[in-house]
Amino acid sequence: MERKRESQVKELIRRLKYNKSALFGLVIILVLVFCALLANFISPNDPTPSPPDLANSLKPGFWGKDAAPGMPLGSDALGRCVLSRIIYGARVSLSVGFVAVGIAMALGILFGVIAGFFGGWVDSLIMRIVDIMFAFPALLLAIVIVAVIGQGLDKTMIAIGIVYTPQMARIIRSSVLYIKEMEYIEVQKAIGSSNARVIFRHVLPNSIAPVIVYGTLMLATAILDCAALGFLGLGAKPPTPEWGAMLSRSYSYIVSGAWWAATFPGIAILFSVLGLNLLGDGLRDILDPRLKT
Amino acid sequence: MKKVIIIVIAVVVVVAVALILFFTLRPKPVVVEQTLIFGSSGDAVRLDPADVTDGESIQRMDNIFEGLVEYKEGSTEIQPCLATSWETSADGKEITFSLRKGVKFHDGTDFNADAVIFSLARQYDTEHPHKQYGEWAYWGWMFYDVEKVVKIDDYKVKIVLSNVNASIMTSLAMFTVCIVSPTNAEKYKEDAFKNPVGTGPFKFVEWVKDDHITLVANENYWRERPKLDKLIFKVIPDASARLMALEVGEVHGIEYPNPPDFDRIRANKDLKLLTEPGMNVGYMAINSGYGYKDGNENSKRDADEPLVKTIGYLEPLTKKKVRKALNHAIDKQSIIDNIYMGTASVAKNGMPPFMPGYNDDVKDYSYDPEKAKGLLAEAGYPDGFDVTLYVMPVSRPSMFDPPKIGEAIQSYLAAIGIKVNIYQVDWGTYLQETQDGKAQMCLLGWTGDNGDPDNFLNVLYGPNAGNIGLAGNYGFYMEEEGQDLLTRALQTYDVKKRAEYYRKFQDLIHEDACYVYLAHSNQNVAFRKNIEGYVLHPTSRKFFYPVSIK
Repeated sequence: MERKRESQVKELIRRLKYNKSALFGLVIILVLVFCALLANFISPNDPTPSPPDLANSLKPGFWGKDAAPGMPLGSDALGRCVLSRIIYGARVSLSVGFVAVGIAMALGILFGVIAGFFGGWVDSLIMRIVDIMFAFPALLLAIVIVAVIGQGLDKTMIAIGIVYTPQMARIIRSSVLYIKEMEYIEVQKAIGSSNARVIFRHVLPNSIAPVIVYGTLMLATAILDCAALGFLGLGAKPPTPEWGAMLSRSYSYIVSGAWWAATFPGIAILFSVLGLNLLGDGLRDILDPRLKT
Repeated sequence: MKKVIIIVIAVVVVVAVALILFFTLRPKPVVVEQTLIFGSSGDAVRLDPADVTDGESIQRMDNIFEGLVEYKEGSTEIQPCLATSWETSADGKEITFSLRKGVKFHDGTDFNADAVIFSLARQYDTEHPHKQYGEWAYWGWMFYDVEKVVKIDDYKVKIVLSNVNASIMTSLAMFTVCIVSPTNAEKYKEDAFKNPVGTGPFKFVEWVKDDHITLVANENYWRERPKLDKLIFKVIPDASARLMALEVGEVHGIEYPNPPDFDRIRANKDLKLLTEPGMNVGYMAINSGYGYKDGNENSKRDADEPLVKTIGYLEPLTKKKVRKALNHAIDKQSIIDNIYMGTASVAKNGMPPFMPGYNDDVKDYSYDPEKAKGLLAEAGYPDGFDVTLYVMPVSRPSMFDPPKIGEAIQSYLAAIGIKVNIYQVDWGTYLQETQDGKAQMCLLGWTGDNGDPDNFLNVLYGPNAGNIGLAGNYGFYMEEEGQDLLTRALQTYDVKKRAEYYRKFQDLIHEDACYVYLAHSNQNVAFRKNIEGYVLHPTSRKFFYPVSIK
């Protein structure tokens, strides 16, 4: 068993090497994770200096004549270093992404396995609730949840997690339905294994591959939704350096010529979402047995 | 013979065709409708002049309604409007107005003494059937000395005061006491604020919430008809979007342009920027904890109305030392230089320096974080505390970018260990919640209404205005000594004596430190070059009557 898993991981890495776009995505994600973990050490300035350095507000970065000292990407409207805020923002976005997808996975696996494995009225009930939740656009549902439970970074995580739960549940259910009909499961049942044993030892491990693929893709949309909520003023509260909030507080200065304060957070969102999508697609190519040659 | 008939028919046909062509193809005189679209930063809250407190609502009202007297163009001196003349009794407690004859409301109702009495009585008479349809906040702040309004004949009314009030005549030019059509109010009852009918130069047509309000010229205006045919207030909340709309000609004028964009406006030969020192103050109020409930709705704190805790009560803020620490912790000069971009001056008192009675001897709290920390420690909070700051969602004349100022204050206070949570909510709710005393600290601004110090000091900082639910005094300064000075000042006609009282009051309120005064800012409006006749008013009210498009 142990050796088999190890070889699976090796196989995954080997295949990843040949998938250039997935590799590119992986590199972006690694850079992001690196920024998020080591933000304290690599960011040139305090992202939320206090007292504020207002005299340095909206100064350009290295390209400008009147550049702010020690701020390579310029400063925002309150004289804060844009680069430092983006680096710290990676921490915010990634933690929102991971926690939200984690919540979605936990709830999705729970409901998906119950629905798929037991079937019958439980299945119908869960799937109808999932259908209802699917009727709302994801972001709108997230806004509603935030409006109910309140504003803040932790609430954003919960809201996005809840919104993604139905997708996860449906994916799990479909793979559980498929695996349930396998002969080895029937064997297990025939020898009298308990439901719990069947689920945890056989059904779950075999239905986890699509969860990883969709989890990665979901991470991308979660980061995007987090930024969107931040842009609408519903996500992280000031002064948290959140990319979407940075964008929404700075875009009005594009007209005044200070394009950098809004552009760089936008690029950060773009690249992290792109990276996760590329990686997710790559993983699907590798893990989906139907696509294996 | 046949030939003749044919020729005759031919001639007739030709002439007929020629005539038809002549009449149909003749160039018609071109009528260009003069429509002015003004880009506002927010929507009106209500459209009843007596029941609004915010500039967005007021600027719409200024063009629909008129009062007994009005301000002269660009000043706070008064001149006759719907009243042609007035006389004050010897004791100063009765003012008799002769009303203008032949004026009609937009709905055809005659303007007369009944309309005047209706418009005012509904605000103070607890028995009045229309009292329930509004909150009439301004009446409580500015007109509580009015005891009653009496009809003498159809075109003569008498305003009876309970106390002498030195600012009453200038106050009567305010929007609060504009005259509304009684028949219209009767027809719509609680919805009258959605269907404003006045006597002013423009008539109300439609209100699409959060989008626009359309007015058209009043053809039967008692003065000359306005030069504009149509006046539209369009809501564009975002300052840069507003400027872009102005640049492409989608709107003809905008309010609150962003200070960083001023150079861009000046450089554009199609645009012009109007600017002058505004009669305003932008401040942060610190809820000192206690207000009173005005049981008998007389807008005064009576002996039987005890101090009660406000909802926004926060233990540390009740201590004077903590409030002083907050004052010392914020670098106003830096906020003026870098956020207002120099389009304002630092405020140290609650009213602008050009007002009579301004106390220039007050020494402002210096920016000194160390001192602030020391004061906090002395007050028993060496490690600071958590506090919620209400931050306005809209630009105000005294504060162009409240969210940014809120964040700057958050950052300044973090330096002395105070953790500020920023709270934002829509504008209508914001006003309601701050008036209810729910805010621990809030950002607000005030623009003078009548050029009288009473309109700043009494309305914003007077203990009588600390009535929970309709508060104007958001810092809840409740010292009786202060109210005593304000009341005496209001009942004194002697200009010097009055100024003396106000100076003393400013000393008191400075010492109490319920407020962090931030800025007196310029008022700025940008128009397209071809818009003529617009005059800035010190009160930031917006009168479009004299405006034309060239």
